[in-house]
Amino acid sequence: MNRIPRRAFAAAAVSAAALLTAMAPASAQEALKVGATFLLGSTDPTAGSAGWALASHGIGEKLFMVDKDGKLVPELAARAERSGELEWTVTLRSDRYFSDGTPVTAAAIGEGFTNTFEKSKTAAATGGKLTFETVDGLTLKVTTEKPVPLIQALFAEWPLVAYTLNDAGEAVYTGPYAIAELKADSHLELAPNAHFDGTERSPITLRKFGDAQTMALAFEAGELDLAFGLPSEVLSRLKANAGLTVKSFQVGYQYFGFLNIARPAFSDPMVRQAVDLAIDRDQLVAAINGGQPATGAFAPYFPFAPIEPRMSDLEKAAGLLDEAGWTLGPDGMREKDGQPLRIEAFAYPQRPDLVTMLPVVKAALAKVGIDVGTQVVENLNEVAASGEFDIFLWAQHTAPSGDPAFFLNSMLRSDGPLNHARYGSDEFDAIIAGFSTSGDIERRAGIALDAQQKLFEDVPVTFLVSPAWHVGVSERLSGYEPWGSDYHVIRPDMGETR
Amino acid sequence: MTAHIVRIGLRSAASLLAVSALAFLVVAFMPSDPVMIAIRAWNLPVDETTISALRTEWGLDRPFPARYLSWLADFVTGDWGRSFRTGEPVLDEFSSRLPLSLGIGLGGLTLAAFAAIPLGFAAALKPDGVADRLSRLLAITVQAVPAFWLGLVLIWVLGVQLRLISPFSAGIDVMALAGGLVALHSTGMLARVYRRDLIEQTMQPYYRTALAKGLTRRQALWRHGHSSALYALLSAMRSEAGWAIGTTAALEVLFGLPGVSQFLVQSISARDHSVLLAYIMVVAGWMLAMNAGVELAMRRLDPRAAR
Repeated sequence: MNRIPRRAFAAAAVSAAALLTAMAPASAQEALKVGATFLLGSTDPTAGSAGWALASHGIGEKLFMVDKDGKLVPELAARAERSGELEWTVTLRSDRYFSDGTPVTAAAIGEGFTNTFEKSKTAAATGGKLTFETVDGLTLKVTTEKPVPLIQALFAEWPLVAYTLNDAGEAVYTGPYAIAELKADSHLELAPNAHFDGTERSPITLRKFGDAQTMALAFEAGELDLAFGLPSEVLSRLKANAGLTVKSFQVGYQYFGFLNIARPAFSDPMVRQAVDLAIDRDQLVAAINGGQPATGAFAPYFPFAPIEPRMSDLEKAAGLLDEAGWTLGPDGMREKDGQPLRIEAFAYPQRPDLVTMLPVVKAALAKVGIDVGTQVVENLNEVAASGEFDIFLWAQHTAPSGDPAFFLNSMLRSDGPLNHARYGSDEFDAIIAGFSTSGDIERRAGIALDAQQKLFEDVPVTFLVSPAWHVGVSERLSGYEPWGSDYHVIRPDMGETR
Repeated sequence: MTAHIVRIGLRSAASLLAVSALAFLVVAFMPSDPVMIAIRAWNLPVDETTISALRTEWGLDRPFPARYLSWLADFVTGDWGRSFRTGEPVLDEFSSRLPLSLGIGLGGLTLAAFAAIPLGFAAALKPDGVADRLSRLLAITVQAVPAFWLGLVLIWVLGVQLRLISPFSAGIDVMALAGGLVALHSTGMLARVYRRDLIEQTMQPYYRTALAKGLTRRQALWRHGHSSALYALLSAMRSEAGWAIGTTAALEVLFGLPGVSQFLVQSISARDHSVLLAYIMVVAGWMLAMNAGVELAMRRLDPRAAR
């Protein structure tokens, strides 16, 4: 048997070392593992809340966005200028490409938006159905159905993710990542979009967890680089583990309860006001271990959020119920004409905080003699649309575009597409109609404050908590700073490898 | 044998037909309107034009029997409809997810049967011995401890504390763990069934004759009791097949495995009719296939059963 010459052995060793060195960057290219309790359900940008999920997952972009300072800034657009009462000129950024390598043009973007407005009613909530006309390569003429004083805010709304349709009729996006594989309810494999900005990025695996507790376990097991939306009850356990980092941040979401005005118990505004006064927000905050009592419809950092937290006053609540004719029975519960004051309160598990809040609400209302039945349902949109509830605890980002109009228009206007409270007030509608005539930021904030004052009087909604959320990050993502609630979970800077 | 297979096939097809009619009836009369669900899911405008267009497109304006027959014809020809939520063909979703679910369920059940035989045999060989007590403990414990809870404990111990597995990686170790948990649920029960039948055999004259001929207790039990006990075990597997579906579903959700059950859980909340119908049919098919398989195996073990 021939012996291997020393020189050849040395050469082989050097080659092997070189090979190993060459392989080292590959580990940096390992997929980042992200966990969340939500996942894109469909690649159709007009289906359900896909527009939001696509932007949140780093696949899609919008023409304008709200940045980490809460400011409305251009994203895929360069600027937008008003050219008539219903007309706007939008100029797109140059040198931008879709993930298939085709350039972003006014015609391509217009085609995508036209498809959206043909199919999605939610997209039309603020400005009605929009039409698009190509002026030149990067300039679009946009015509709205209703006057829109701040088109930038409209184009930052979640249904309006920008895309074009390829020859197969599939949507193609512009974000830093492209969909490599989507397994509904399980995981999403994201590949870096080579045409985004030339920066190399790691691929990302986004895994959906059925519940936040399980996701916390996965984070503890070292399986996740980012666990988005950790439940508050595990925070102390996670923080005690030196190898794990947990970051908390104020979000634009608000936790509130729709009070269904179409139901007999809540047809009387005094009963609704009593419910609003009876709920102790401090106890809710303590129960979910984060956040602060709501001051109104918007997170407190927005200029259109009221300053004072919503009041709790059991005595006043009891007085209102007395005045409304609901008298205390010998069992401490209220009744009128022999009928008990019983209501059904709902929450949904996709936002675990709401489920935690449900028994706290029940206990608070029991103190003023209201009997509350509680139910947790997964099909929240179904139940909300059916109207088979009295109180529905809800989590909603109420200013995703940095502007108050979308939430108030879509969820509380008489003919709003998501008016789950069945609220109908000409006076309220007249107040928020001001949004369509004024583009001045301060004036719009004033309209929002007036609208909220009206809501405090009529109480179709009881505003409860402005929450803080929690994320867990591995050492690899230790620089990740959460912002923008869950609207920008996966961001361009996250997977950069150089 | 061929005639018997044909008979089983016809009986299974008739059962499947009955299940399909019942499933369609139940799903069709669920308190939710598929058109309104789709309108909400797809953000479509709630107006008469949209509603009537969808009703016509899906044949909802036709009488119930016509709708059922149309769905059945589509189903058997491979058109299982589209999911409201994902927009993808239901058959494609099931085709990509079924192998995983079947792998866990069938793998676990097979593993249980193979584990139950030595355990049950050892238990029968020495009543009140270690194996007998162990099989009894196992049978009782798994009835009291849900697989979901046990899975959580194993994730905590093996994944978080010891870092021996990656519990949410959907890797081979997780699949094996899930299959093992399905097996664990059935092993104790199957072992007890197998043991009980073996013990019964020891009362038979031919067993005593075998002992008299000089065979050891172990040899006599295996040669003269095993076939009969295996027959009983196979019979018990039919009921365990149902349990395996439930356990697999719970474990898919727990470990985040992309199987049909996890897909179903989300589809129930969305009242995704096409998915619900397909799942019922798949589960019915699984149960009938298990029944047929077990029946054929039993017939092979004991041809007298055919008479």
